[in-house]
Amino acid sequence: MKVRIDLDQCHRSGECCYNHPELFEMSDDGEPSLKMTDLADAGMRLRAEQAAEVCPAGAILIEA
Amino acid sequence: MAEPLQEQQASALPNEIDPREFDGAAFQRDPFPLYKRLRDHHPLFHDRFHNRWVLSRYWDIDGAFQDNASYDRAVYKPDGPYRFGSSHVFGPNILEYGNSPQHRWLRNIVAGQFVGNRLQTFLPMVAQICDEVIATFRDAGEVELVSQFSSQVPIRVISNMLGLPRQDEDTFVGWYQALIAGLGFGGEHLARGIQARNEMWDYLDPLIATRAKTPGDDLLSRIVSAELDGARMSADEVKGFVALLLAAGGDTTDKAIANMWFHMMYTRPDQYADVQADPNLWDDVFTEMMRYDPVVHAQFRHTTREVELHGRVVPERAGIILYLGAGNRDERVFKDPDTFDIHRSDLHMGRENRSGRYKDGKPGHLGFGIGQHFCMGYVMARQEAMIACTKLMGAMGTAQPKLDRHPGISSPSIDSGGFRSPQELVLTFNPA
Repeated sequence: MKVRIDLDQCHRSGECCYNHPELFEMSDDGEPSLKMTDLADAGMRLRAEQAAEVCPAGAILIEA
Repeated sequence: MAEPLQEQQASALPNEIDPREFDGAAFQRDPFPLYKRLRDHHPLFHDRFHNRWVLSRYWDIDGAFQDNASYDRAVYKPDGPYRFGSSHVFGPNILEYGNSPQHRWLRNIVAGQFVGNRLQTFLPMVAQICDEVIATFRDAGEVELVSQFSSQVPIRVISNMLGLPRQDEDTFVGWYQALIAGLGFGGEHLARGIQARNEMWDYLDPLIATRAKTPGDDLLSRIVSAELDGARMSADEVKGFVALLLAAGGDTTDKAIANMWFHMMYTRPDQYADVQADPNLWDDVFTEMMRYDPVVHAQFRHTTREVELHGRVVPERAGIILYLGAGNRDERVFKDPDTFDIHRSDLHMGRENRSGRYKDGKPGHLGFGIGQHFCMGYVMARQEAMIACTKLMGAMGTAQPKLDRHPGISSPSIDSGGFRSPQELVLTFNPA
């Protein structure tokens, strides 16, 4: 499973970084990035799915 | 001729709604009984008088906020996506760009500055501004909280973030208060508001020119030097942007602070004792205020296609009003929704920045919206309100309301963007 962030869609709300710091990190300008993109671990996959579900911008995309 | 008679008969029934109720003083003072009738009997209300549709239940509003493909913030026109105007008192601003890519671009020039590490660097300045403002009234033992505190702090914070000169801050606060009064009350206030806006525009022009040449680390510099496809914003667009930040970053937090104190003084003085014992509870006061009676009660959307709701079809390009103030009182979601309770166990209390929409979690309040137009200052508003309330409580020692009875929270006009807050709130205290 792969996850990516569409930065054109992203709103810099910070939700993903605040709630899932294991998977997302934020630059000083509020831009999120992924600490990993290939999710082998089930816990990380759940985090990615939760983040995608609640992102106010719908900017987190999960590919099977 | 038969129709008016039928309508008259219908409005005599207790559960029927006469759309003129939305314009009445009773609704501005206490909208909650009408909200309940909407939720229980008209979850999708077609208001033919104002030519709009009305949603009032929690999950319907949540759904509309999230469905950016069916609902847009801006007005569509038949031969193109959006209708841009400059009719707004603040001039052109980013909200008119609806769900378009331009909106996202404009928003992201500043959005990242209100979260994360960048926000943390601003927090000491928030505390310092609170101390300065409190010092102006502390020895008096009495404060009119709205004019002397809540409408002073957030505007100074946002003008500081914009990098406006601190020696002109008092002038700026004066313009801001005139502008906000003009938006809210109209009449002579409106004339003074427009005059204040024009003076502010003239003041900003040379600053915009300077920052465009030699940008600094401030928000105004970010706004003037941001480029899309090689082009910068015009001076008018910059001023519209600045005005929106003043209103969104100043006025809403200003009224949030006033509402929090109103509820602690008048609605739940018993729970104020809890907050005095543990100032961290201001965070829960903020969240419950944003549910129980938030600053903003209504958001507008326009349908971009036919939408089916409650067995009816809302046509394309219809206006639809989302009463998030009603959704927050939905008894289908919250137990005893009309009780203000900072210890509520069925509301996501958001101590961390988490939307509350997690499936395993509790529902959050709708006060910041959801989706593409989700409040970009939500973290900052909460932290700023926390700091301001904690500082004020600490400085006052024991505080009590001066008047036993208060006329209550009101709004000049909920439907046209009027923010709900007390007009005045006088506290007396014995400084520690």
